[in-house]
Amino acid sequence: MNFKEILELIDIVAERGIAELEIEQAGTKLRIQGKPSAPQVIHSYLNGQREMPALPAAPPAAILSAKSQEPEEPDAGLHVITSPIVGTFYRSPNPESEAFVTIGDHVSKGKVICIIEAMKLMNEIESDVDGEIVKVFPQNGQPVEYGEKLFAVRL
Amino acid sequence: MISKVLIANRGEIALRIILACKEMSLKTVAVHSEADRDSLHVRYADEDVCIGPAPSRQSYLSISSIIAAAEITGADAIHPGYGFLAENAHFAEISSECGLTFIGPTPEAIRLMGDKAKARETAKRAGVPILPGSDGPVKTFTEAMDVAREIGYPVILKAAAGGGGRGMRICAAEADMQGAFDTARSEAERAFGSPDVYVEKYLERPRHIEIQVFGDTAGRIVSLGERECTIQRRHQKLIEESPSPALSHELRQQMGDAAIRLCQTVNYINAGTIEFLFQDGQFYFMEMNTRIQVEHPVTEEVTGIDLVKEQIRVADGLPLTVPNGDFHLRGHAMEFRINAEDPVTFAPHPGRIREFNCPGGPGVRVDTAAYRDYVIPPHYDSMIAKLIVKGKTREETLARGRRALDLFIIEGVKTSIPLHRAILDDPRFIRGDLSTRFMEEFEW
Repeated sequence: MNFKEILELIDIVAERGIAELEIEQAGTKLRIQGKPSAPQVIHSYLNGQREMPALPAAPPAAILSAKSQEPEEPDAGLHVITSPIVGTFYRSPNPESEAFVTIGDHVSKGKVICIIEAMKLMNEIESDVDGEIVKVFPQNGQPVEYGEKLFAVRL
Repeated sequence: MISKVLIANRGEIALRIILACKEMSLKTVAVHSEADRDSLHVRYADEDVCIGPAPSRQSYLSISSIIAAAEITGADAIHPGYGFLAENAHFAEISSECGLTFIGPTPEAIRLMGDKAKARETAKRAGVPILPGSDGPVKTFTEAMDVAREIGYPVILKAAAGGGGRGMRICAAEADMQGAFDTARSEAERAFGSPDVYVEKYLERPRHIEIQVFGDTAGRIVSLGERECTIQRRHQKLIEESPSPALSHELRQQMGDAAIRLCQTVNYINAGTIEFLFQDGQFYFMEMNTRIQVEHPVTEEVTGIDLVKEQIRVADGLPLTVPNGDFHLRGHAMEFRINAEDPVTFAPHPGRIREFNCPGGPGVRVDTAAYRDYVIPPHYDSMIAKLIVKGKTREETLARGRRALDLFIIEGVKTSIPLHRAILDDPRFIRGDLSTRFMEEFEW
């Protein structure tokens, strides 16, 4: 797929008001997400290489937050992905579709792992490491605050 | 009806708002940064949400995070406190658009009074005295001279685009004008990219006196008397009192009427403050603050009105509870802003409070979010407590202030307590002979 073809696809998504288009073809994966007005390329992977970072990565795991009353989780050796914003946590892009990730899945850095809705905007949250998902902390639809634990990843 | 209030602030004012909500049986939501996890406002609110890291821009100034916090907790109103987003018209607008009651004035009023030039114009139209000066920037030196001659020396030349003292020159007489005009213009050019300056009457020893106003949705606007805030350093207020030792009942009424006229022209709703400069029996409009003020307890003490509860009631569409008729202030109140700072150099002094003992007894109120072992974060302002004392007379208030400051024990960080204590022994302060240059001339 060349650049011109990608541009054409974006135009189609915009004109037809398509919510989302995903194409996988010979090692190239392209996903275009449409918006009411302007379409936006969220991610494009070429041969596994991440090309266009669309969202800031989650903050370093050093900024761990745990409410003082909660018992400490045995997180030793695990990497914890925390929420970069306040909002509502969703495991899948919409209620009908499958979760972005489930326990046991291998994720690579940059993979979308959940959505956090804030002020009616769906913010896609990406993994900031390569590894295996071993724990999902919040329930689907649960409010999360800044710095709250989302996933534990075994590196 | 408001049932759950999100407080978009921190520190003592967040706590003050929580107290008002508790008395009104309203639920509260505290928002906080990572640096404020152990704050009292977080502890005392019914719910709390961490909205970001320590820097204000990513937490207390992040509109989207605060609105998101209101959404996930189901809050139906937002109180902005003072500072941070309190005078941000955009925030007030977005709150309303998201179905949240903004506890404060309308975005239009915030916008109109937040622009200094527009506010001055509005005041002029409302017949509120403003400092005599040129209408906007002066184009030539001759024009500057003409204006100065008309309003009388001393005058001050000020950068039209400026602030913070740069591009400012004071002229005592005509002979100073040429030099001052040239320097002010070149300084203004360098600092703000525009050489435009305007000419204004210069007050040598003004007092800073402000009027507390309050409007409700039925269109009623009242004045709740004045606060004298003349004791400042670097434009930061240190001590406020009400009534002002400089005002007669007639002057108080004149200033109150002027403030009300100004508010009427912008259909002002909720709490606001009109700041005036005062010298030789004349008052001049300076600016309006479209929010609750740090020093609001001074007015609460002499009027018996809980201003924060009144703010919430008015935001809910209820009428002001202030009775009609002639308004009198009862007794005398004074507030001391206790900052964690070196009392001599004023350098901020964050750190752990090792000992904290609040004074008490008759006529003493302390508004604070500090406690023993509290760590004052370095990210925010250095005010850690407000000590408010009240007496029947100014004399009794001063005596209460002295003994309360003596019994206010804060260890582990340096505070401004010794400075306040020394000011209370200053003969000029005791006489009430004040000007905004008091601190420049003050000697321990």
